Amino acid sequence: MIFFRRYSQIISLSLFLFLLAGAVVSDTLAEPDFFLRLDPVLAAVTVVCGRFFIWAFAPALVVILLCPIAGRLFCGYVCPMGTTLDGGERLFGSPPKKYLRSENLVNLKYLILAFLLGASLFGLSLVFAVSPLSLITRFYGLIIYPVISFFADSILGIIRPAADYFDMRSLMYAQIRTPRFATQLFILIFFVILFALIRFCPRFWCRYLCPSGAMLALFSKKPLIRRRVSGDCINCGKCIRSCPMSAIPQDIPDLTRHGECIACRTCENVCPVDAVAFLGEKGYRKNKKSDSESHRDTQREKIGRAGPDHSPHKGKIPETPFSRRDFLRAGLLGAGTSVVSLTGLNTPHDKAGEGQVAPPWLLRPPGALPEKSFLARCVRCGECMAVCPGNTLQPIWLAAGFTGMFSPVLTPRRGACDPKCNRCGDVCPTNAILSLPKNDRIWAKTGTAVIFREKCLAWEFQKSCMVCDEVCPFDAIDFKREPGNPFAVPHVVEDKCAGCGYCEHFCPVQNQAAIMISPMGALRLSRGSYEEEGKRQGLRLSLKSKKGTYGTPSESEYPEGAAPGFDEAPGFDNAPGFDNAPGFDNAPGFDNAPGFDNAPGFDNAPGFDADVKD
Amino acid sequence: MRTDMNRREFLRYQMNGALWLTAAASGLMLPGKTLAEGIPDIGVAKGKPTIATRAAVELLGGMKTVVKPGNKVLIKPNMSFDTPPERASNTHPEVVRELAVMCKEAGASRVMILDHPLRDATRCLKASGILEACKSVDEQMVHMITDASLYQETKIPNAVTLTTTDIMKDALRADVLIAVPVAKSHSGAGVSLSMKGMMGLIYDRRTMHLKSLHSGIADLSSILRADLAVIDATRVLSTGGPGGPGKMIRGDTVIASKDMVAADAYTISSFEWYGKKFKPSQVRHIREAHERGLGRMDVENLNVKTVSV
Repeated sequence: MIFFRRYSQIISLSLFLFLLAGAVVSDTLAEPDFFLRLDPVLAAVTVVCGRFFIWAFAPALVVILLCPIAGRLFCGYVCPMGTTLDGGERLFGSPPKKYLRSENLVNLKYLILAFLLGASLFGLSLVFAVSPLSLITRFYGLIIYPVISFFADSILGIIRPAADYFDMRSLMYAQIRTPRFATQLFILIFFVILFALIRFCPRFWCRYLCPSGAMLALFSKKPLIRRRVSGDCINCGKCIRSCPMSAIPQDIPDLTRHGECIACRTCENVCPVDAVAFLGEKGYRKNKKSDSESHRDTQREKIGRAGPDHSPHKGKIPETPFSRRDFLRAGLLGAGTSVVSLTGLNTPHDKAGEGQVAPPWLLRPPGALPEKSFLARCVRCGECMAVCPGNTLQPIWLAAGFTGMFSPVLTPRRGACDPKCNRCGDVCPTNAILSLPKNDRIWAKTGTAVIFREKCLAWEFQKSCMVCDEVCPFDAIDFKREPGNPFAVPHVVEDKCAGCGYCEHFCPVQNQAAIMISPMGALRLSRGSYEEEGKRQGLRLSLKSKKGTYGTPSESEYPEGAAPGFDEAPGFDNAPGFDNAPGFDNAPGFDNAPGFDNAPGFDNAPGFDADVKD
Repeated sequence: MRTDMNRREFLRYQMNGALWLTAAASGLMLPGKTLAEGIPDIGVAKGKPTIATRAAVELLGGMKTVVKPGNKVLIKPNMSFDTPPERASNTHPEVVRELAVMCKEAGASRVMILDHPLRDATRCLKASGILEACKSVDEQMVHMITDASLYQETKIPNAVTLTTTDIMKDALRADVLIAVPVAKSHSGAGVSLSMKGMMGLIYDRRTMHLKSLHSGIADLSSILRADLAVIDATRVLSTGGPGGPGKMIRGDTVIASKDMVAADAYTISSFEWYGKKFKPSQVRHIREAHERGLGRMDVENLNVKTVSV
């Protein structure tokens, strides 16, 4: 039966990885975030913090409802974190025989759960630090995935010459882009510690720390399918020593802390007298009672111990060192932490207004909820960042304060945010980033481009650079002539700019670009249509998708001297200096947008528009 | 590149010929028309994309004069925008396909169609129609190259601004390089034709803007000299380039030349840009290339043959 558990674990982890990898390479997979939605604590805290319920959390509910029937099957058979830690145990070696084991620590996880729930009452979501599925998704998505890509890319580099020789083009031109992520160090340190703890005690995390396990334990006090010990028990203590979960109290092998038991059935397997059974009466060997009795007696003689009947604790599990009061205290501590963090400088206000301090270039992904709800719902699983094809979504560490740890931000310098892509919203397990309807996507404005003229190649260095315009998918950059500059210079058309960051990404200026996306004007809606809201605000967002037209441009469009990139002075015999042909662009009307002509007398009245005829 | 002369020899030959080039630039020597009347410097064919492409190359003596049996050919179209052929920011797929077919007919061992896009590669391949069009010739001939390891750092001898750049390894190894740009305006370079198109064969084109775009293009054309330039002017994006949308002109023309500069120059003088006529010399990278002897922009002195098909 132990094999069944191994198979189940491997299949489950494979499915988890398949969904994650599948979501990375393609957008056709349904429910890539399924495993995250199985996590009971992730679901519970998000529901409490976000003050909402979505049926997306139904899987977690099923996991909880299964507990009264079969106990913590999830932990033993499904959870990718548990499997990974079990795998780690195999990889890094089992702990020594006499490992660190403290039954006192078992209840630590309940305190963590109480703390977490206490904190979420005031809307502070700390699941990112302790939810097993959030942690493990982040681990595989942001650490393992880049490492695998790196190796795959290196291997491709090695086999490419051979592929070239045999003319295997699909291999020759296969290209793997290795994603890069911030905060790796912190994720890595966390997992190194978790793996190191296995050396001291198997499933240290699951035993002592995991709040999801704690939550399931609350519902598994006496499940229908549970560990039962028959009178055959010889009190040898093998089961106690081999239990990965401290589910069997010291010296009382016939009792079980069902809440701690993950039904791994290791005890059933190691029992020398087959006294342990999980499924009904099957394992008791009732039919062969005489056999087993004699067997039992020989075994008892061997170890020189009496049966459990002689145990002084008969029928009673010793008290744990944490009292109900301790849990209350932990809950209050959580609530307190939450209140303190809510008074932190960086914590987002309910309404954006006066005195909100936020990092100047903090850009949230398109379709992210208003900041406060966003942080309440975001579980920092890293799924959005792993699947982001532009690699622009990056986790931040403390840049946005304690409450913003590991939350995703756009990093246009690293990659642009494709206006046709909504992968982050598609995979978000908690709808902190919305999966937008097709028409809405381009209206999910993430910010507005700002030009730093003093760094700009065209403005400051008078070079022929128009990269921002070339790459802009929205036609939000206008190039205009400036007196004294041989080349046209860029201007941002704010209401056409969606903040996608193509300009910032491709700007040739080193390090900090000369055009950057500021969160200015970002649309963050919790409900309603982005398109409607955008139009209501007068935005003119549209991809450069309209067809070109045949014909010659009107004179006003390209007045004398305004053909960009062409030199004015004809003939190649001209002496150097012809680039500065004087008088080059001040054709009347060129700088004046239609409709903005100044009516005499009105142009100096501050706050008044020029007189525009209907 | 040419089978009788490898790229290095060819470059050396070009450098040694600096004197000749100066003479040509100053207009003392006008050898174009004195050469054999049969083979023009520029072949111009008016008609539908596929037949015009073939006709234009035939005017130059056919593809067999460029591609020898067993040659590896690299075709460089414009396909780095995720826009359909009607927008004229990418080369017409039929023009590209016909060239690929002709290379195969001439006995090329491998024909690759490569570019380095600014946008999502898959979407560019799909929208441009080039991947689909060329599937009938060879399933595996069209690729986008974005991985840095597929580029090789290369020194550009005698460069003015772009002294070193990472060039696509396939371009360095190809026996024959064919440029097949769409004729379009470019708000930084004036026009984006065969010379400007070579920027799709390098890894980091940002540096070129950082230094000097025009002389960088000329530098690049000195090392990435196409053996054949075929300019798709079936429709000309006369404003709003390189990405468009802009005003287009129905050109119904394909212009071919073994001299990139001449092909570009002829294209500039043949169409209106931003509603006006320009001389090739008004585009600085063309002028620089001419002055450096990379080719000739004095199209009025060249032998141009035009056919309608």
